[in-house]
Amino acid sequence: MTTADDEFAREYARLSAAFVAQLPQQVQILNDDLIAWLSASRETTLFDRLSHKLHQLRGSGSTFGCNGVSEAARVLEQRLAALRADAAAEPVSELDEVEAAMLELRGEANRIYRKSLQGGQPGTHT
Amino acid sequence: MSTPTLRRILYVEDDADIREIVSMSLEMLGKFQVAACDSCADALSLVDEFSPDLLLLDVMMPDVDGPATLLALRERAGAESVPAIFITAKVEAGDMARYRKMGVLDVIVKPFDAMLLSSQVELIWLGSRSNSNDNSG
Repeated sequence: MTTADDEFAREYARLSAAFVAQLPQQVQILNDDLIAWLSASRETTLFDRLSHKLHQLRGSGSTFGCNGVSEAARVLEQRLAALRADAAAEPVSELDEVEAAMLELRGEANRIYRKSLQGGQPGTHT
Repeated sequence: MSTPTLRRILYVEDDADIREIVSMSLEMLGKFQVAACDSCADALSLVDEFSPDLLLLDVMMPDVDGPATLLALRERAGAESVPAIFITAKVEAGDMARYRKMGVLDVIVKPFDAMLLSSQVELIWLGSRSNSNDNSG
């Protein structure tokens, strides 16, 4: 590796650690946004914000090696879109699926965070 | 005909984490000069002075997305034909053809390998320059 590679690897590790450190809080905010959207008559602005944040987490999660979080965010983004599309029918099963996907996302975020506290290396949070 | 060197990249991405890692990769590993910003409005305020060789744009951004940002930048005198690359986590059927019609060189799909990103950008750039030289000759 060159000096530039080494320097970049160090910076990448620092950014990755910072990403993981704020992951539980970030997912908690998503959870709060989901509850707000569900209890605010499925308001469009809230949905767009939540959907966009999930899309970002999908991209940033995989970029920092947190593939489980990225996948859970992708699933939740999809289920949320399906629930919104069928909003008039109030489908209980789709609501259950959204809640299950959020639970999965929270579980993944917490698992990766705990792993980092035990010395897990950035970029290996799969 | 010689291939122009890629030096200056204007990069637009609303996600601060991704923006930082991509900027670092392009600057530290690719030795490019990067102007990074988080919105179409900021890109428009930078483009004249920075005079980029290449635009690197996230597709999904709130308010004004990547394709709309590209169209807005292309309306600026001097930036009408600056090549562009999109970055996105999601490429749906038909997107690529639509992007090509807009003159986008290629799409880099997230997740990308941050260690290889600058090489990937340079390869796309060189490939496009080579094609344009072939077509002009």
